[in-house]
Amino acid sequence: MKKKSMMKVFAVLMTAAMAFGLTACGSDGGNEGSEPSSEASTTEQSTAQDSTAEDSTAEESGGGTAGAEGLKIGATYYTLQTEFCMRMDNEAKKWAKENGVEYTSYDGNNDASKQLEQVETMIADGVDAIILNPQDADACSACVDAAVEAGIPIVGVNTMVNNDQLTAYVGSEDVSAGEEIMQYMIDYMDSDAFNIVVIEGPMGQSAQLQRYEGITNVLADYPDIEILAIDTANWSRSEAMTLMETWLTTYGEEIDAVVSENDEMALGAREAIKAQGLDIPCIGIDGITDAVAAVESGDMIASDFQNAEGQIRGALDTAVKCVNGEDYEKEVWIPFEMITPDNYADYQGRY
Amino acid sequence: MSGANKQKAAVRQRKMTKKQFIATYGSLIGLIALIIIITVIRPRFLGGANIRNVLRNASINGLLAVGMTFVVLTGGIDLSVGAIMGCAGMYSAYFAQAVLGYPVIVAVLIGLAVGLAFGLFNGFCIAYLRVPAFVGTLGAMSVADGLKFLLTDAKPIPNLNEEFEFIGGGSIGPIPVPCIIMVIVLIICFVLLYKTRYGRYVFAVGGNQNAAHVSGINTKKIIFSVYILAGVLSALAGIIMTARVTSGVTSTGDGYETDAIAMVVIGGTSLAGGKGRLWGTIVGIMIMQVLSTGLDMLGVNTYYQMLVKGFVVIGAVMLDSLSSD
Amino acid sequence: MSLIELKDIRKSFYGVEVLHGVNFVLQPGTVHALMGENGAGKSTLMKVIAGVHAADSGKVLMEGKEVEITSPAKAREMGIAMIHQELSAEQEMSVAENIFLGREPGKFGFIDYRKMYKDTNDLLNELGIHLDAKAKMKQLRVADQQMVEIAKAISQNAKVVIMDEPTSSITDREVERLFEIIRRLKKAGVGIIYISHKMDEIFQICDEMTVLRDGNYINTFKADEIDENGLIRNMVGRDLDTQFPKEHSKIGETILSVEHLTRANEYEDISFELHRGEILGFVGLVGAGRTELMKSIFGMTKPDSGRIVLDGKEVHFKAPKQAIKNGIAYVTEDRKGEGLVLPMSVENNITLVALADLGKGGFTQKSKETEVSAEQIKSLGIKVARPSIAVKSLSGGNQQKVVLAKWMISNPHILIFDEPTRGIDVGAKAEIYKIMSDYVSKGNAIIMVSSEMPEAMGMSDRIIVLSNHKFSGELDRSEFSEEAIAQMQFKYMQNKQGEE
Repeated sequence: MKKKSMMKVFAVLMTAAMAFGLTACGSDGGNEGSEPSSEASTTEQSTAQDSTAEDSTAEESGGGTAGAEGLKIGATYYTLQTEFCMRMDNEAKKWAKENGVEYTSYDGNNDASKQLEQVETMIADGVDAIILNPQDADACSACVDAAVEAGIPIVGVNTMVNNDQLTAYVGSEDVSAGEEIMQYMIDYMDSDAFNIVVIEGPMGQSAQLQRYEGITNVLADYPDIEILAIDTANWSRSEAMTLMETWLTTYGEEIDAVVSENDEMALGAREAIKAQGLDIPCIGIDGITDAVAAVESGDMIASDFQNAEGQIRGALDTAVKCVNGEDYEKEVWIPFEMITPDNYADYQGRY
Repeated sequence: MSGANKQKAAVRQRKMTKKQFIATYGSLIGLIALIIIITVIRPRFLGGANIRNVLRNASINGLLAVGMTFVVLTGGIDLSVGAIMGCAGMYSAYFAQAVLGYPVIVAVLIGLAVGLAFGLFNGFCIAYLRVPAFVGTLGAMSVADGLKFLLTDAKPIPNLNEEFEFIGGGSIGPIPVPCIIMVIVLIICFVLLYKTRYGRYVFAVGGNQNAAHVSGINTKKIIFSVYILAGVLSALAGIIMTARVTSGVTSTGDGYETDAIAMVVIGGTSLAGGKGRLWGTIVGIMIMQVLSTGLDMLGVNTYYQMLVKGFVVIGAVMLDSLSSD
Repeated sequence: MSLIELKDIRKSFYGVEVLHGVNFVLQPGTVHALMGENGAGKSTLMKVIAGVHAADSGKVLMEGKEVEITSPAKAREMGIAMIHQELSAEQEMSVAENIFLGREPGKFGFIDYRKMYKDTNDLLNELGIHLDAKAKMKQLRVADQQMVEIAKAISQNAKVVIMDEPTSSITDREVERLFEIIRRLKKAGVGIIYISHKMDEIFQICDEMTVLRDGNYINTFKADEIDENGLIRNMVGRDLDTQFPKEHSKIGETILSVEHLTRANEYEDISFELHRGEILGFVGLVGAGRTELMKSIFGMTKPDSGRIVLDGKEVHFKAPKQAIKNGIAYVTEDRKGEGLVLPMSVENNITLVALADLGKGGFTQKSKETEVSAEQIKSLGIKVARPSIAVKSLSGGNQQKVVLAKWMISNPHILIFDEPTRGIDVGAKAEIYKIMSDYVSKGNAIIMVSSEMPEAMGMSDRIIVLSNHKFSGELDRSEFSEEAIAQMQFKYMQNKQGEE
């Protein structure tokens, strides 16, 4: 017990030190900070540029992150079995190649304890920094503790971790995505009195909680919009399809619109709707490939694009800065972008 | 007497054919080869910190496999171990919340009680109501999942008592607490299986339930008991895991039953029952854990990892059945 | 010309030769018995013919031409069919579907059921088998399933049919029907290789006998050249003084009495007494209720009414455990199904019943177990390389002795012995009989259920005959005759006879 509390104190001191940028972190990897880059380009803007300028191959160009050469970075994703996380992982691999970074990714398999295991493996493997895309905001808190104890910076990406010691966080505000799609749907319906159904993500996951919060924020101003039904389909297309079939049987044409917390579920719902020969507008979040196609074909009215590439690049940039002892922002927000029938072409073939 | 024993041992040595050797030591040799290969590519794999990680994780996940070994030896199967692990973990987390201020033992006992309850339920259904094990435990799995979500509406339970967290994350000297718990459990289980009448009866029931019944063994009681053991050990794993991730999470244990079954069969225990060995399960546990951590460290694509694990399970069982005639 | 001829066949497993140059000639239209104790090499030889094993050396001639039988499929193609000891029919399928399994008539993957049923009926009629082509296999009795297997072999134009213990689990009347079919096959020029331990059958149906002993070819005899004893002498290489070493031990006081015991659809109103020093035989057709009665006495099933009085006290056993505590042991008819834990070692099988007495406080005591099981292995003459090998690797006779050993450790007073020598070779049979005699001479009692008439008459002091679930008669040793027993067996069967 005594030893543990000692470690805690030590850990707190370490983080404090890191937060003030007084010392280079990554005590274990044996890296000698390389040359600290002179201009610490600040996060939001520069990452956005990064992702748009990634075509250029030259190492010195916008795609590169100064001071990254020779570092060893590990990333654990809550899963690598969905498109969004794969996009982050692929982008990270691309970035690692561009910047001469040794990058290893881990599949958390939807299991917080598995992710903790992986963080510990990374620590044992001597990484300089860790990227954490947590399965759960609370459950993955232990991952942060483990990294902090080992004195390795750990940057959260896409999903928040409820731990003050998290070195930095790069993500998009899910609350605003929820607000944006709800508002877009209201504008599309051109009415302030209609019935919707809401398809939710896995209960308790922060993206579900926050996206739902965004939806209700908007609905607070529209008392005549009624939620006929609300239930989870666990981000899954097939589950959403089943759910929607049930709702169509129950409510039939009373349903005027479908608001889904991600694209997969919106597409599943849309399938069920089409099978009944109906046409109920659907909207989702994430901007996955299928959703862009659906917007083009009119199956979805819009999808709020979550910039996976931007997020992971932001996280990697932040991690490098932290390792090198440069200034960095503790929270970086990558905005959502609404894919609409007017601009869907911009998102085609983007990855 | 000792002379005679020596002679017997010599006979045994001589009688071991190449096939039997492979059947007995194949998986162990595989494990050692695996460790060597991974270490050659990534020397850090055998670093002290990593060994501790691997052993700690193996201890937690392995508890399920140890309980499963008893169940499989009787010719049964328990699909609910992962769900019991998650459910027990959640309930013990609930009572381990720092704000409630209960002593740690309360949280632990509550968790174990959940496991015991599910074990009793499974055992009763299977042994006395003659529900097929596959179906009974499949049902229990869903019930455990439901109870787990009901507790907090699927929300996690953070801020646990620090002493509770010690169960999963602490160490005594260089040895992680979960490993110590696992060693104690293993010693008890080894004695139970190989030194007591009970253990012999477990083998007998699995080998031929009718013959065991005719021989005066209360076969229902034996079957009943193995599910209780599996339930309690699963709950123990859930408690340790919860303590380790320092919060009660609903995803704990999801899908762990398949890994547990894989560990048992890799270790050479026959799903038909009556034939198997506990040390084989230990090797199975280590193979699965070393594969998982090792392939991650080597940066093997997660999809390939799935392929590898699948082939390892099939390969191990194939080796076993090919060499057992 | 001979149908099939084997010359100087040798076969080794793992460097151990098990067939040392065996010869065998099968003529068309004959039944040829293959004789030998278990382990003599009969099965291996048959597997060579059926294409399961390839011979290491030697020649196989089929109708004069040298052939190589490389696989069971090849054997079938060449007209060799094996009727297995354990039947392997698809239980959920119909008779016709089983017969035509894998070569169903029809086109484009569709089955022409009408043709299939018609062909099946034609085939069955031709063979004189009266079965419904549409009946599911699982509805048929073992004997009828066997008929279907034979029909299937014939439909595949089999010239050589191998029958491995075809009568081990069918009744005497069914045996008669089987022989009827065999005679028809003979007439059609089919050669039949017949493996059985039942001497009377061999002499009834076989034309020639080839004897193997320890993998050696001993000789081939014509049926009229040799008698039963001569054949046994050739098989075991020694004279068996008498097949049934029955000693007349002193019959003592009543140890068990059963009064008006009834269990619906199994047995009705059965009463008898068992005395110390006595072997009481139970005879009846398969399904007469003998085994069911024994299960109730042993506490495996609960009688609906009646009393069981043991040593003057009425008992109600809820489980075998209680029967065992009261000194009853039960060697079941189904050795593999209920007698042995096959994957377990010989030693652990032997100590299974008495385990509680061989250790302390729930713990087992290895040294004690080894000692006690070694004692039993010695006293019962179990042939085993070492007690730690799996019991499934032993021959039938040795397995049966292991079952006996398991019970003997706890010194039971009553031994229920259901089909004591089923599937056991002649040598081991005599040894089992000797064990039985010794056992009762110590003041114990045996209830023996037997379907083999010579055995029942040879070993019993008294015989009780059951017929169609009812008590149909009791005979003292002096009154034993096959005729009397047969009459009693059919006493309550009259109305059932027309059914077949």
